[in-house]
Amino acid sequence: MKKSLFDQGYLDEQFYQLEELQDEVSPNFVEEVVTLFFRDSTRLVTNIDQALEKRPQDFRKLDACMHQLKVSASSIGAAKMKNECTSFKEFCGKESLEGCIRSFQKLKKEHSTLRTKLENYFQLLRQVGPVEKAVRSGK
Amino acid sequence: MDPASTTSSGSSRAPAAGYSRSPDAAAACGPPPEFPAGLRVLLVDDDVTCLKIIGMMLRKCLYDVTTCSRAAEALSLLRERKGWFDLVLSDVYMPDMDGFKLLEHIGLEMDLPVIMMSADDHKDVVMKGVTHGAVDYLIKPVRMELLKNIWQHVVRKKRFGMKDSEQSGSTEESDRQKKALEEGDNVTSGSGPNWRTMKRKKEGKDDDEEEEDDTEEREDPSQTKKPRVVWSVELHQQFMTAVNQLGIDKAVPKKILELMKVPGLTRENVASHLQKYRLYLRRLSVPQNQARIDGPYTSAQEVPFRSGGVVGFDLQALSVSGQLLPALHFGARRATDTGIGTPTFNQMGFLSSGSSANVSSARSSPMYQMTNRGLSYLSGSPNNIESRQIDQPYHLAQQHGRNTPLKVEEETSVFFNMPPSQTRPLFPGANTNDQLNRSLLMAMSQPGQQFSLSQQHDNFLGQSISRGQVLNGIEAHDSRLASTVRQQMLPYEISSDVSERTVNTLNSSLPGNQISSLYGAVPQSLNSNIQNRCINESVASLYPHSSSIGPTPMTGSVQTSSKTSNLKGISDLPPSYVSSQNKSLDWKMKGVNLPYQSGQQFGSGLNNLDSGSSPATYQDRNTINACTVRKEILSVRTEIEHEKVECISQCNTAVLVENSFSMKSEVLPDTKLQDAFYDSNIISNELMNVVGKQLQEGTGEDASELFDGYSLDM
Repeated sequence: MKKSLFDQGYLDEQFYQLEELQDEVSPNFVEEVVTLFFRDSTRLVTNIDQALEKRPQDFRKLDACMHQLKVSASSIGAAKMKNECTSFKEFCGKESLEGCIRSFQKLKKEHSTLRTKLENYFQLLRQVGPVEKAVRSGK
Repeated sequence: MDPASTTSSGSSRAPAAGYSRSPDAAAACGPPPEFPAGLRVLLVDDDVTCLKIIGMMLRKCLYDVTTCSRAAEALSLLRERKGWFDLVLSDVYMPDMDGFKLLEHIGLEMDLPVIMMSADDHKDVVMKGVTHGAVDYLIKPVRMELLKNIWQHVVRKKRFGMKDSEQSGSTEESDRQKKALEEGDNVTSGSGPNWRTMKRKKEGKDDDEEEEDDTEEREDPSQTKKPRVVWSVELHQQFMTAVNQLGIDKAVPKKILELMKVPGLTRENVASHLQKYRLYLRRLSVPQNQARIDGPYTSAQEVPFRSGGVVGFDLQALSVSGQLLPALHFGARRATDTGIGTPTFNQMGFLSSGSSANVSSARSSPMYQMTNRGLSYLSGSPNNIESRQIDQPYHLAQQHGRNTPLKVEEETSVFFNMPPSQTRPLFPGANTNDQLNRSLLMAMSQPGQQFSLSQQHDNFLGQSISRGQVLNGIEAHDSRLASTVRQQMLPYEISSDVSERTVNTLNSSLPGNQISSLYGAVPQSLNSNIQNRCINESVASLYPHSSSIGPTPMTGSVQTSSKTSNLKGISDLPPSYVSSQNKSLDWKMKGVNLPYQSGQQFGSGLNNLDSGSSPATYQDRNTINACTVRKEILSVRTEIEHEKVECISQCNTAVLVENSFSMKSEVLPDTKLQDAFYDSNIISNELMNVVGKQLQEGTGEDASELFDGYSLDM
């Protein structure tokens, strides 16, 4: 499943880095980070939503907010999200509200899609883990 | 965690307590001399995800990691545990404080290697990191491999710094001057030019010295980083003793080092510390003067300061007597630079004394990098003088700062749109810019003080000065300075005189920025942005025609610009430029109570405003100055009479010139000033003229005031 996530471009190299960080001391590191990310990014998305509704538009602020989100996304390897963030920022630069809104819609979609996929992924991991243990201990 | 592994670093460490550390970090590896493991890293990032990830990566590298998500928190952590941390990793974009600012603070106060991080990989942002002294810049997302090697920066800084100091110790002074000169030529606000000048400096010197004490302007940050020395209380006491012995004016790193006789201490260490100290002094003088806290610093300040001789001035209006001196020196400095002022200043009576001493200190402070550059502009006079002047004001300001009523600070704060609290921070904590600003203010105000300006004058001047200072000093305007400035009416005159000369001299040769650098008694930390903004604003305000901005607005705008402008450009052009700009504005704005920035502001404002069309500008400025002069004159008393004369003559000239639009104005200032200086009659006449003209030009209030004031004086 992980492979499919990578193949479809949802995740990139950075995710591997996260996994490398996981060890016995922090066995759930990746999941913790991802959870943290989604908590934080949801907040950021809300902020951007509110900012987008304001008139007149403050593109600089939007850009700054989106930058934050982009940094977060890139640090966990959320490739598609990161790309959407980049295009959103470009629209901000051009001060195209229309473009920003469209891009943001896509971004939100990516965001929730990734969240679902990763949730499934971790669930899978959890299921596999205990099963393995059970099998081993069974022997 | 086993501190033993880190003791090899050579810096004293306080036992860590309560901070997250990898338990097995130090114990695991018998650390080689380069102790990679157990390296104490402080990670600052507002993004929790990044914080967690990078923190984990660092722990994987066996480093001792402490995390915080706020820059302020990071700074207090660093201060609490001086010498505890080896390295700082900081994000660039943070909500409470800009990463570069944090970088500056750390560089000044703790001299730790700082690595910047960001997802932003634009060249100019990375360059900013370099110019602000970051040892490295990592693009997010950060890979663990990169973090594995960050310890090298710590080692390099320690080792290389020592080596550098040995090599360059003897040639520092001359190098500095050379550098200053070089830089002066190229002073620009952008990081690019700085980079170039830095390169030249590199050629000139083996390592980045005074100017780059705390910031690595080199392209390769890993080179010649001074060893991190922890300035313990004892060490600082020794430093203070040495400084006091030499006199703050003459406190050059080399001599201080000799006096301190601390083995292993390099000239760079001293230079950077001296720089910080100066900033500290400035800060002290501006904010809460009454409650100056930095005991060690302040006490030392008084000693050297007094020696400056400024004390003798009648500071009545100025609570900060010392400030006057510096102001004078300031003015003197400019004069010196332009080759004209010195005699003039002497008249003022201030310049001669402390100027020399200040230079060295000013030079060394990294904050004053710009100053150095500015100093170079002043090529006329040795850079030393300039910096000395700068220092003196600081000292003075400091001393006075203590005395200065709080209100000054408040005023300054208000004026500069800065919360009073900003101006108060002590040296360690204060924003670099603030400090600089304060220093600037102090310096600026000092000249004014000498003239024992009346309230009115003070306000007027103060405004201008403060304005300039703010612009220069940027954000943290030192309230103290403001107060002193205000009180000093004369500085205006002096400065105008000086500035005029300087301006004239400079205008031809240097770009506006450069000119400002001349005036650069004020710490150069002022951003060129600010300057430009100020200039624009001041120009606008100055010219009657263009005065879209009223006195108040101008102030505000100036302030705003200064505040918003990027102070980061410490290496930018001298703030004085900006200050002068402000001055012009202030004058216009009668109500503005800007700290009086000694003529510099005025002058620089003139220059800045229109380097190209100096004559015209000059005229305008003069006119404006005239207005301000009027105010000043009102308040200025005989002590500064001669100065007034100068100013008046200038103003008169300006006024007259403006009306006639002749080039005379250019010439007039110089000559007029001289004449005016010695001939009070002229002043009175001119004053009348000025007043009249002012009235004509719509500055009725001023004119009448001026006129009235004049008659009082005369």
